[in-house]
Amino acid sequence: MAGVTWRRLTLGVAAVYFLVPLAIAVWFTVYNESRGFSLGAYGRIVSAPGFGESLLKSLLLGAAVIVLVLLLALPALLAVRLGAPGLRPVLETITTLPLIVPPITYVVGIANALRGGTDALAATPFWQTLISIQDENFPVVLVLAYVMLALPFAYRSLDTGLRAVDVRTLVEAARNLGASWPYVLFRVILPNLRSAVAGASFLSLALVMGEYTIAALMGYRTFPVWIVTVSGNDGQLSVALSVLSLGLIWLLLLTLSGAGRKSK
Amino acid sequence: MTVELRELRRSFGGTVALDGLSLTIEQGELIAFLGPSGCGKTTALRCVAGFERPDTGAVFIDGADVTRVPANRRDAGMVFQSYSLFPNLNVRDNVAFGLRVRRRSADERHSRAAELLELVGLGGFGERYPHQLSGGQQQRVALARALALQPKVLLLDEPLSALDAKVRVNLREEIRRLQLELGITTIFVTHDQEEALSVADRVAVLKSGRLEQVAPPAEVYDRPATPFVAEFVGTMNHLPGRVSGETVEVFGQTLPLDGTAPGAEVDVLVRPEAVRVTPSGDGRGFILASSFRGSIARLRVQLDGGGEVLADVPGHEAVRLAPGLKVDVTLVERPVLTAPRTAVAAPVEPVG
Amino acid sequence: MAGLTNSRRRGGGAGWLAAAPLLVVTLIAFGIPTVVLVVGAFSVKGGGFGFENLSATMREPYLGALWNSVTLSAVVAILGAVLGAFLAQAVLTSRSGLLREAVLTASGVLANFGGVPLAFIWIATLGNSGVVTAALGLGSGVLYNFWGLALVYLYFSVPLMVLVIAPALDGLKPQWREAALNNGASTWQFWRHVGIPVLGPALLGGAVLLFGGAFAAYATAAAMVGASVPLVTLQIADALTGNVLIGYENIALALSLDMIVIALLVMAVYLPLQKRSSRWLA
Repeated sequence: MAGVTWRRLTLGVAAVYFLVPLAIAVWFTVYNESRGFSLGAYGRIVSAPGFGESLLKSLLLGAAVIVLVLLLALPALLAVRLGAPGLRPVLETITTLPLIVPPITYVVGIANALRGGTDALAATPFWQTLISIQDENFPVVLVLAYVMLALPFAYRSLDTGLRAVDVRTLVEAARNLGASWPYVLFRVILPNLRSAVAGASFLSLALVMGEYTIAALMGYRTFPVWIVTVSGNDGQLSVALSVLSLGLIWLLLLTLSGAGRKSK
Repeated sequence: MTVELRELRRSFGGTVALDGLSLTIEQGELIAFLGPSGCGKTTALRCVAGFERPDTGAVFIDGADVTRVPANRRDAGMVFQSYSLFPNLNVRDNVAFGLRVRRRSADERHSRAAELLELVGLGGFGERYPHQLSGGQQQRVALARALALQPKVLLLDEPLSALDAKVRVNLREEIRRLQLELGITTIFVTHDQEEALSVADRVAVLKSGRLEQVAPPAEVYDRPATPFVAEFVGTMNHLPGRVSGETVEVFGQTLPLDGTAPGAEVDVLVRPEAVRVTPSGDGRGFILASSFRGSIARLRVQLDGGGEVLADVPGHEAVRLAPGLKVDVTLVERPVLTAPRTAVAAPVEPVG
Repeated sequence: MAGLTNSRRRGGGAGWLAAAPLLVVTLIAFGIPTVVLVVGAFSVKGGGFGFENLSATMREPYLGALWNSVTLSAVVAILGAVLGAFLAQAVLTSRSGLLREAVLTASGVLANFGGVPLAFIWIATLGNSGVVTAALGLGSGVLYNFWGLALVYLYFSVPLMVLVIAPALDGLKPQWREAALNNGASTWQFWRHVGIPVLGPALLGGAVLLFGGAFAAYATAAAMVGASVPLVTLQIADALTGNVLIGYENIALALSLDMIVIALLVMAVYLPLQKRSSRWLA
């Protein structure tokens, strides 16, 4: 039947297009004409200089971004549902900003602001602050930038989670039973949002572990930047790193859907 | 324009939806397919519409075998349970969809749509979109759309089950009025026995893909052909009884048997309205609860020997027959149905 | 009653207070760079304001790069939307839960797979010494041009479209198709009069997202084509790293403003469409 034919054709073409490059990439990393089969390329990743350092830096950045995103987004989202619905359009606008401002233009803005700021504030105590937030080991600027980029994902995830919970009724019921505000927040609302919070966290982490443009152009050696610099002329190593980063995304997504399923 | 279902069988994987269903629906008749979910009533309807093809058996419309005719070439207008209106088209274009597909002129489409909307009481709603209508209005539009091509048969697949109680009653009367006015052969699928009894010329009660009984509403209610029908349609008391010959002894009364009894020890099936309750200081039970329903009040009577009986009494007696009162229970003298003994005096409320 | 309205009002105030940290951080982290960017784009050499930088971006070589970026993004958006919709429909109607699950998970992974690693994988496949290039004897330069970039961008765009369109396809109620058939429509007529119009907003919304993704992509292009296919993101990066003609110091800012304006125009199409789609498919 016609329906079956077009479906098979579509799935077949998609399978070739999506799977062939992957298969080739994996093959390329483990097989070499002169040396035959070897997992050496993956071994070289771990021993390459800067691997642990950049990975640690990215994970640290990721943790900071997660904490900050949750601290900023959760109270605002709860406020929307508990008596300040006027906030919603404001939040919607904030979370569409990163869709309108591409990372590369964002980094142009940041770089110019920092340069201008450093010049203008050279004689004041703020100068020291500006310098310290650009610290190579823990760049606060990068954290702030990533928080802005992660907000849309975190916001959607948390908003979806909150939609499934009738926050107002929960709060009123808990207050009616004599619970204090902190108790309501930590023992009533957050436990009901566990999967949404996990979702927002993993999406933020995935973003930090994959973002290249901003970090590279501002000169920070995060894990994605390290991947590019270390591959240099070693073709096998660079493809092995690509496979590794794909695996990393897959792992994060798997954890994400696992966290989502557990709560259901 | 009769519809005949002949020996329809259909199974999905391991479950049998239709198990040899045969039934003839007469010209201009409104027949209700009634049964619990999974009884095959919707599958039967979809076989008539052409959305399902029976594994074996045949469907005849107006004497012609349509079993293999595709759904878009059958003369059967269908109203779905809910949300079947095309969301991107306004009410007028929804109603005129079939005419548009047949490339009729815009003038013809508009005048026919206006006529049909007038018929279902929605004149002037043509420019609205489905999401701007209430559930009841949406179903009226769906009805107008189903009638737009002047089909030989009208198929209604639980059209009222997603609506509020009050709208449901209004719309079912409206559907009946329209059906009589147009004289169109109609199949009305429902799991609501009250709905089936109140609109249909005949009610077909289905169970596990088989026909249990097909008869006018009063007959299905008063003379159920099987214990299943008796319990599915209306409320039934199960009272312990002992059969002797052509009679059955229950509560010290001897009542004539209707049909044959399944054994000596049986459940006697008695409708609440066939139970009389009279205050009596040395009665055999007391009133446990009373729920007032306007014209009647339904009493739950706790019997001294264990078990309960439901009884319907006129509404104005509800004050006199208050909970706690000692009462005596008697049964109206008429032939009674029996079923295999199950529980002691357990009334069964209808499903749905 | 008075107490209730009172607490409402107080709730509103407390609400804005709860959102204050977010608003302040946004103002600093997004507001300052944006203001600097806009002001800088209009600042001319020697002080004062003018359109010199912006008009420079409307001349070669920058205009060509802008045009390349827009056409590449449009091609990726249209192809990605159509192919993604077909793939999603093929998967969703296959009745195989396993296939559905597998494709949606894979789409989630691939939609997030971009940047330099994506370029490496395609270079290994279709680059000048790639496996497929060698096997099919394709010669060099297959990948390092406009259409090569489009092919690679589709690798994350099609999966993204699958993710975006799948809920909309799921939202197409089977009753609509059956009601259409019941009214005498053919399958094609159903799609023409109902299916495609209903999916329209979601399709267009998806295409807009793909456009945005391709438009903003930088790392993949930088690793693959370098300067051989001029794109606006590549030009901005060049300018930012000091690789720029004397007198064009603020060109990166002006080009960035161009990009933001284009993205704004595209988003202006997207938002109202998304509202309509969610109403229909609720």
